[in-house]
Amino acid sequence: MEVLIIDDELIVGKRLKPALVKMGCEVEVFNEPRKALDRIGEKVFDVVITDIRMDDVDGMEILEHVMNKSKRTRVIMITGYAMMELARQAMEKGAFDFIAKPFKPDDLRGVVRKAAESLNIKLKET
Amino acid sequence: MNTRKIRDCAAGRSAGIRGCLDVWYRCFLKRLYLFIEKRIEQPVGGEQDGILRKPQPKRFTVKKHIIYVLVFSISGFLVITLPIILTMFIMSKNYKNLEGANAFFQNISMARQYEKDYFITSKGLDNVLLAVSEAKKVLIENYTSFAGEVKNGIEIGNLEEYERQLFILKDMESEEGSSVRKSSSVDFENYSEYLTKKEKISRKLNYYGIKINSFADTLVKNINESMEKSLLFFYVINVYVLVFLFILAFALIHLLSVRILRAIKELNAYTSSIAVGNFNISLPYRPFSDEFSDLKTSITQMMKELDRQQSVLAQSQKLRAVGTLTAGIAHELNNPINNIMLTAHMLLEDYFDICDEERVDMIRDLIDEAGRARLIVRNLLDFARESESIMEPICIGQVVKETMKIASSQIKLSGVFVDLNIPPNLPRIHGDRHQLEQVFLNLILNALYVTLKGGRISISVEYGTDEPNFVAVKVTDYGKGIQDHILQHIFDPFFTTKAKGKGTGLGLSVSQGIIAKHGGHISVNTKMNKGTTFTVKLPITTIPANIGSSADNYSVQIKK
Repeated sequence: MEVLIIDDELIVGKRLKPALVKMGCEVEVFNEPRKALDRIGEKVFDVVITDIRMDDVDGMEILEHVMNKSKRTRVIMITGYAMMELARQAMEKGAFDFIAKPFKPDDLRGVVRKAAESLNIKLKET
Repeated sequence: MNTRKIRDCAAGRSAGIRGCLDVWYRCFLKRLYLFIEKRIEQPVGGEQDGILRKPQPKRFTVKKHIIYVLVFSISGFLVITLPIILTMFIMSKNYKNLEGANAFFQNISMARQYEKDYFITSKGLDNVLLAVSEAKKVLIENYTSFAGEVKNGIEIGNLEEYERQLFILKDMESEEGSSVRKSSSVDFENYSEYLTKKEKISRKLNYYGIKINSFADTLVKNINESMEKSLLFFYVINVYVLVFLFILAFALIHLLSVRILRAIKELNAYTSSIAVGNFNISLPYRPFSDEFSDLKTSITQMMKELDRQQSVLAQSQKLRAVGTLTAGIAHELNNPINNIMLTAHMLLEDYFDICDEERVDMIRDLIDEAGRARLIVRNLLDFARESESIMEPICIGQVVKETMKIASSQIKLSGVFVDLNIPPNLPRIHGDRHQLEQVFLNLILNALYVTLKGGRISISVEYGTDEPNFVAVKVTDYGKGIQDHILQHIFDPFFTTKAKGKGTGLGLSVSQGIIAKHGGHISVNTKMNKGTTFTVKLPITTIPANIGSSADNYSVQIKK
């Protein structure tokens, strides 16, 4: 399963990548949302995990972009506590699920597993 | 030529007199003032318990001053009335004397007239006697008062002698009449003897008559003279007393009015400077304690209370601003916490599968992120903490940068870009770091509030552009601008355009108070649909860094 992680916090990508690779995902990490958008243009991912609030382009834009590109792609939004309203909007726009910071790697793994199930992809047990 | 010289000379003299009077009056006023002060400012307390105390000015109230003036005026009035009453009394006495003397003089004259008539017509001797006895009566009645008026004493002897002669004449006449009745023949010898006798008495009468006459004359003249003399004496006395009292009263009233007017003027200046928000003024030392000192004390009390109220208000407003920040802060804080959580979990999970280098890297990340979280919290707490006002030399650029740190989470959350322009080598200003941070934060939060997501605001520090001794911080938004009817109220306390529960309406009013305390001012420049610029101007310190830890004597000017 091909996963794209977008967060301008370097550490998020750095730690989530090995966590998801263990499940048998192929993971690409971008810290700059603009470059990520380019990559989305090039390739269709199964799952896109993106932070909502970023300096350059925000998560909602990426969601719209992905939804325009492929309805099949599951988009998981990472939100801050103060942005529940925004998260709800994201769900309306077609996001698969959202996860609030701070979260454990297993929390995200659970969401990714759900996404995989919805796509009928079998992931490794960790 | 000559006349002009005289005129010049006269003019010079009169000017000289006027100048002299002026100098005298001033000298007199000064003496009086010193006298009052000396009476009032007797040394008090001095050194007690080893502590040098500032001498407490003695109490001399305006009320007391007014009472003094009143008492003085009344006693002056009495002083001036007494001689007048005395004059009247003495004059009335003199008048009575004069009346008596006149009556005496008239009676004597009448007696003399009747005497003359008698010698011509041999009739009316009784009239003479009547007039003389009348004169005698007057003289005896006024004996004591007349005694003081003539040098040689009352010459009553002359009058008695005169009267005696008249009685002799009367006796002679009655004898003559009876002898005539007894014998019809006329005794020529007797008659001639009688005539000689009469002649002799007539001469004697004349002699005493002249004496009495001159006595009466002198008496009248002397009484007249003494009357005139005492009149002149009292006249002079009255004029002098009047002039003296007038000058003294004028001087006292002058001192009183100068004192009151000066105090009112001073207090007026201070209250108007309080009105524009400067509570840090010290009222001048007063030479003596009076009602104005009480007023001064209560004004000082009021200023202290206002200052305290202002800081309470500023603190509550600050906490309110912190409240506005919490959403941003919470979000901002979640990032490092999230990083720590992910890293820690992965470290636990993969601890034995990864190499030492990776482990160290992860631990470093943990430390760094914890530090990041600590910094966010510390910035906020530093700002929110209730702190003593510390006036110190500060760099305004640094303060703006610190404020940006506090506001950064909010800026990120609202998705607004900030153009920050702080030139290097800014002059220092004298102020309270935290209070100024509060002001800039208020301005930045206001700018963020009117700026849409993706918009921008600009913050710049300028120095020496229009006012050379001021450094200006400008916070500009490119929002809708402020309408005129709102603009005139934006600095009013509790005025807000925000929705209920979103703003207290204290931000700008508190900011204005803080800036006024720093001797600066806030101005606003707005254009409809173009944006608004708030400019904070603060005076540059020209004093060395460590001296002058108070901000007492700044001029205050607030532009709305």
